[in-house]
Amino acid sequence: MRLSLAFGLFLAATPALTTPALADVEAVLDTHILPGTAAFAEAAQALETSAAADCRPEHVQPAWNAAMDAWMGIGHLRLGPQEQAALTIAFWPDSRNSGRRTLARVIESEDPLGTDAEDFAQVSAAARGLYALETMLYDPQFSGYAADSYECRLVQVMTEDLAEQAGDLDGAWRRKFAPELRHAGEPDNALFLSEAEAERALFTQLHGGVEFNADQRLGQVLGTPGRPVPARAETWRSGRSLRNLTLSMEALHRMARALAEGPVPAVDEAFDAVAYFAEGIEDPAFQDVTDPAAHVRLESLQGQIRMVGDALSLAIGEAMGIAPGFNALDGD
Amino acid sequence: MTSRRAFLAGLMAVAAPKPSWADAGSPRWLACAREADGAYALFGLAADGADTFRLPLPARGHAGAAHPTRPEAVAFARRPGAFALVLDCATGALIRDLTPPDGMQFNGHGAFTAEGDILYTVEQRATDSRGFLGIWDSAYRRIGQIETGGIGPHEMLRLPGGGFAVANGGIATDPADRTKLNLPDMAPSLVYVEDDAIAEEVTLDPALHFASIRHLAHEDGTLAFAMQWEGPAGQVVPLLGLHRRGAAPILASAPGPEQALMQGYAGSVAFSQGEVAITSPRGGRLHRFDARGAFLGATPRADICGLAPCPGGFLTTDGGGGVLRVTGGQARPLGLRPRAWDNHIVTL
Repeated sequence: MRLSLAFGLFLAATPALTTPALADVEAVLDTHILPGTAAFAEAAQALETSAAADCRPEHVQPAWNAAMDAWMGIGHLRLGPQEQAALTIAFWPDSRNSGRRTLARVIESEDPLGTDAEDFAQVSAAARGLYALETMLYDPQFSGYAADSYECRLVQVMTEDLAEQAGDLDGAWRRKFAPELRHAGEPDNALFLSEAEAERALFTQLHGGVEFNADQRLGQVLGTPGRPVPARAETWRSGRSLRNLTLSMEALHRMARALAEGPVPAVDEAFDAVAYFAEGIEDPAFQDVTDPAAHVRLESLQGQIRMVGDALSLAIGEAMGIAPGFNALDGD
Repeated sequence: MTSRRAFLAGLMAVAAPKPSWADAGSPRWLACAREADGAYALFGLAADGADTFRLPLPARGHAGAAHPTRPEAVAFARRPGAFALVLDCATGALIRDLTPPDGMQFNGHGAFTAEGDILYTVEQRATDSRGFLGIWDSAYRRIGQIETGGIGPHEMLRLPGGGFAVANGGIATDPADRTKLNLPDMAPSLVYVEDDAIAEEVTLDPALHFASIRHLAHEDGTLAFAMQWEGPAGQVVPLLGLHRRGAAPILASAPGPEQALMQGYAGSVAFSQGEVAITSPRGGRLHRFDARGAFLGATPRADICGLAPCPGGFLTTDGGGGVLRVTGGQARPLGLRPRAWDNHIVTL
């Protein structure tokens, strides 16, 4: 589960009146979010088409990888329709292996739920979406199925379900949530009571996405001191742990530029440093994490990513008058 | 025959009517907040969400207790509490600065009796976090204390009929800060207190012992309790419980993915006309249920926490300064104030 911070107005530093115009919210929507949700919907549709033509793993894998790439462009957005959709499209980390266990049970019993995309939406989130498909396509315990098997139909159903979700997500952004952001501060808008609130919501996504990359994409595999956990690397079976991280950071960089209405040197430098450290990672699946030298390299990369988070807070967040949420942080 | 003393008292009453909440602008609710300049204050809110009064506080407040008739409010510091200020909301005067006895700490909540002759303050013993209710008379003199039967009590609620409910959160904290000391062994409970004694204790399945019972609301014989999960992150658990005296508690959840979005944290709970709601500032959403625990829907709002019943639904406040009315799950802004509202709204 992702524990991101809600960001609130940093009242003491900057009154709401001095925050910049809404142009940056429009830019984030028009150059980052909406093209991203459209691209993901298209990639998920292509994945469904590919699986329908030939369900076997080696045939479906390229389209699945393209869909994963597209998701990395928007996966950091956890607001509006994507707050809930992210759980059923991209259930990760799955520390208790719920996805594999549910899929195993569904296949073992040849559950009729697995043969109809509409019914399939009832199964647990962990057994749906991109990460469950990785299990079917790359995990040797699942991927040995034949063209006319129950699993073959299941994979087709899973891709239909994903395409449906991706299309709904894109539609919901366009019809409902993007207009809410654009019309922040208008009398009936109960989601965003001011333009500053819309900016704050987007900044929270940006910062949360960077934190997720450090805390989860690297934190999971790095484990606790002295106990790295290779099996917790994201999509290690498909060998794309580093690719996910890199694509996500690139998308976050584009979002930062859009939100800040142009390049911010301190932020650009921090993102560039991440790219540089990422080049030094040897195993794209992070399976070498048990080797102390590789562990240090991954930890250094994690440190660089955290510095992006700091740079964003200092160079963009504070300039916009934003600080972590008042109640979300305090608790009680 | 009328005594001289009663006659004089009668004269006084005519000459100087007893102050009432009307003298404080007839607020319907009270709430603490941090203001734009970093200062803290207690606000009165009118039925339309507008401010009726503002009284400065020396530090961050948490919740309050309102006197049933006199325009007096006790503003509690966030726990571990150093202050509980009795304020005259009509004049702004500080009536009393309550201090817990040596070795005791206020825990952020308290309640008056229906007549307003006794104030109870939720407290814990600093050394071991054992829970107590401090008892104060109508002149705010300490007259005693009783045990709550648990560790780390948080909210208490007056019930119709004279008793109180107390949420024993179960978490022992460091005497000097809020470091949690006993999570592996925490054992929260819900107790009903009648005539200063525990009349009924409710505990949950041991599998849910990480669910700290912290906040309370009541309507038509059903007590709602809101919980905060201290167990493994990622485990999706119920955050709302409903209890009727003598029965087993009912636990209520939203469907899986929606429940997960609450981040294991409910910060406030309220009942309104057969609906019960909880808020999660971490998840940025309000969840509504019916009185039997069936999920009705989610309403998103960043850093939402303050929650109270209002005609037709719920009033909410948040860390962004928003005051909203939620009717049938539909939120309508009542105002955006230059302040960060604290966790709770006290209904008068």
